[in-house]
Amino acid sequence: MLDILQAISDGVLFGATYALIGIGFTLVFGVMHKLNLSYAAASVGGAYAGLLILKVLVGAAPWQVFLCAFAAGGVIGYLVYLLCFHFIPLANPLATLMSTVGMLLLIDEIIVHTTEGMPQNYPAMFDDVMLRAGEFTLRGDLLLVFAISVLAMILLLALLYRTKLGLATRAVSQQPVAAQLCGIRVGGVNAATFIVTGLLGGLAGAMIGASVGTLSPLLTTPLTVKGLIVTVIGGLGSIPGAIVAGLLVGGFENVLQLWRGVTERDLYVMLLLFAFLVFRPEGFFGRKAATD
Amino acid sequence: MKQNVLAFAVALAFAAGGALAQEKTIKVTGFGAKTGPVRSFGVNSEAAMRAAADAINKQGGVKLADGSKAKIEVDYFDDGCNAEQGISVVRRIAGSDAVIAVGPTCSNVAEPLFGILQKKVDDKGDSGLQFPIFTDVAIKVGLAKISEWAFRNVPNEATMYSSVFYWLRASHPELKTVYGGVEEDFAHSRASWHVVMKDRAAANGFQVLGESKWLLADTNFATQVREMKKANADVVAISAHPFSLCGALKEMQRQGVKPKVLVGLTSSSSMETLEGCGKQAQGIIIPTSFAPVTKEGQAASQATAKFKGAADLHSMAAWENMFILKQVMEAEKISGGKNDLQADRRKIRDGLAKLRTTQGLMGVTKRTADREADKPYLFVQAKGNSWVVLHNPL
Repeated sequence: MLDILQAISDGVLFGATYALIGIGFTLVFGVMHKLNLSYAAASVGGAYAGLLILKVLVGAAPWQVFLCAFAAGGVIGYLVYLLCFHFIPLANPLATLMSTVGMLLLIDEIIVHTTEGMPQNYPAMFDDVMLRAGEFTLRGDLLLVFAISVLAMILLLALLYRTKLGLATRAVSQQPVAAQLCGIRVGGVNAATFIVTGLLGGLAGAMIGASVGTLSPLLTTPLTVKGLIVTVIGGLGSIPGAIVAGLLVGGFENVLQLWRGVTERDLYVMLLLFAFLVFRPEGFFGRKAATD
Repeated sequence: MKQNVLAFAVALAFAAGGALAQEKTIKVTGFGAKTGPVRSFGVNSEAAMRAAADAINKQGGVKLADGSKAKIEVDYFDDGCNAEQGISVVRRIAGSDAVIAVGPTCSNVAEPLFGILQKKVDDKGDSGLQFPIFTDVAIKVGLAKISEWAFRNVPNEATMYSSVFYWLRASHPELKTVYGGVEEDFAHSRASWHVVMKDRAAANGFQVLGESKWLLADTNFATQVREMKKANADVVAISAHPFSLCGALKEMQRQGVKPKVLVGLTSSSSMETLEGCGKQAQGIIIPTSFAPVTKEGQAASQATAKFKGAADLHSMAAWENMFILKQVMEAEKISGGKNDLQADRRKIRDGLAKLRTTQGLMGVTKRTADREADKPYLFVQAKGNSWVVLHNPL
């Protein structure tokens, strides 16, 4: 029983990073009704860029690396918007899908060529702290990752529901033509969405790097898949859904790993996705297509 | 005046053409991962091949059947560590004027690739590709037996790990138990644990308590390390490449798992491990078929560095392959002519098959009947920012 409890807590804490990735996917989808498949790669790219501060400032603290990754994520997010969306005909749904796949591969290869594919040591905070209650343990660094992720989600929700930018974003998300008629610059809102999701992605990448302790380009594809699963299970376009689904997928896969082993683990996560697609295609909090 | 200039230019072009025609070349094409997470394998192998070819060419090149000399020309293709791409690349190389291909870097490419080669030489009923492959990096045990056109110059992990566990048993008799950590979805690491390490540990009197499995791109090792902690083995042997090795080692540090001895996978005795988790990898023991301990090894390392590559057990095999090929081409008297391309390929294959020993950077390598190598090796240990020689069992 303790093993299951431990697996659930480990998974849920790590699931916070899945939730951050899922939010990035879902936010872009919510606003533009497009999938940005390069999001997880851009997040990992932001995390790598965070390490650049160590070249400039030897002995920089982990929080400075995270901050640098956060900022770099925003820049990468804007570049992704320019290259994959701004100049691409949005009316063709496949065009942006393919341009973001291309961007995923491009970012992946930039990382590989820059680092020669070598894993990079990533700094963490509180990685030597372990909270214990008998045999039950909680990793200090994962608790921090969880706390930062929750804080980021709260700030994002505040941005969306308490600011003019958030209001404009929600307006564009619901009725882009009407929003434009009201004087909202749709292009500007889209670009801002990418910057915000990019910032969040940079932070997510840094949190993933910190919780694993190492960064590798190997991370981009699995995180893309996990992010998409979280987005679908949470409900396309739903931020609370992405949060709940991220934590659920993290806990679920860890329990399944304990129960059935690592080779079957992903099979069950895919089955969970399949079950949602069949029985609840709108996910936890997504809007039903028929009622839109 | 214009006519004179034109005539001079034409004469110059013919003269240049003639000079170029006199310089014969033999093309050896390498292939391996130059994109993707294991790009460093391909980058280092290519650098070692080019450095070796440069050294051979500076000594005059390869002596051909007619007594003339040919320079070695190296080409290198990227297979992305992907089986389909690897097979396509080799078909392309076989369609070129290359006499042999050196590669691949990944066992998951080598295994299906060797499957498309003709199984037995001169088998008229087998329409498989008749093209020699001389592998430098892909290390999964026993692959060359798939085809008589496949040769490898990779370390024999069964011998190396047998030696590691034998040495551990002899030098630390207090060590009784072994627990494994295995990267389950990578051909090399999976086979190295299940076929080699586990078996060799048991054969040397260790009790194997179990194993924890993870995947190459996993990010969470908590459950696996908890299993490892419960086993409380004296020796933990981790068969994983640097990224997941580092993830596991960091989790072991967090959970306070401190085995008396830590053994690693051959491919992890690289700078990647020290770069990713040098602190946590301190003390890990890994058998390797290369360390720059001989004059030849040091020279090869320096030459490879000039071509922007790093010397390790994999890339130095590529260096050795080039010198072995020079020896074989000269012994088998290849012509180097375009019309004799297939005959030259066959001669090289037969020449490689005849070899019983080759000279390597660490000493003499024995060649086995199934076209594999039995290379000299030693044990290295991570100390500080480098790998230091811990023990030379030979």
